[in-house]
Amino acid sequence: MSESAVPPRSAAAEASRPVASARPGPPPLLAAALAWIFPGLGHFLLGRRGTAALYALIVSATFLLGLSFEGRLYSPEPGQPLTVLATFAVYGAGLLNLAARLLSSNPGGTILSVTYEYGCAFLLTAGLMNLLLMLDAYDIAAGRKS
Amino acid sequence: MPADHFLILTLYALLISVFFALLWRNERRDRAALFVKLFLALVLGALAVAWLMYPFPS
Repeated sequence: MSESAVPPRSAAAEASRPVASARPGPPPLLAAALAWIFPGLGHFLLGRRGTAALYALIVSATFLLGLSFEGRLYSPEPGQPLTVLATFAVYGAGLLNLAARLLSSNPGGTILSVTYEYGCAFLLTAGLMNLLLMLDAYDIAAGRKS
Repeated sequence: MPADHFLILTLYALLISVFFALLWRNERRDRAALFVKLFLALVLGALAVAWLMYPFPS
């Protein structure tokens, strides 16, 4: 097998390179960290205030609905490996999750409630949505996304 | 809390659709189009799955 020469960069590859150096902004890690603390805060830092408010509304509403449906704020359990993933997802909601664990009278949910499964789905979804917002804020701050 | 399964399903689809329309599109028109597609896919898809599962009671 012979070694081939490195191909020249295509115009598309050049266009997809980060453009962060063109305009200094907040550090990507700071944007991602703020996005984790509260939904939309990372986008607020990046100047996208309208979108940030909508993100905050959507993720908070999803999380609060999950609590009202008596869903479970997961914690890892021995012999239940999927609870580790579920815990990671729920912790994605940042301060919402931490506050709910501290303030809720029923963080384990009510498994006998008819809405328990819905509640779990809403809580997990809220955490995963916020994790996506963290990545989005990071990409915008790094110049990978307009 | 009363459990209206279809209402909860619709609420879930609404939140998911708005979120991804905002996340994946930048223009208002594109966002509206994606929202409608996602919302209909989630609600109609759930109804289709429910209809398919109807002959198999638990």
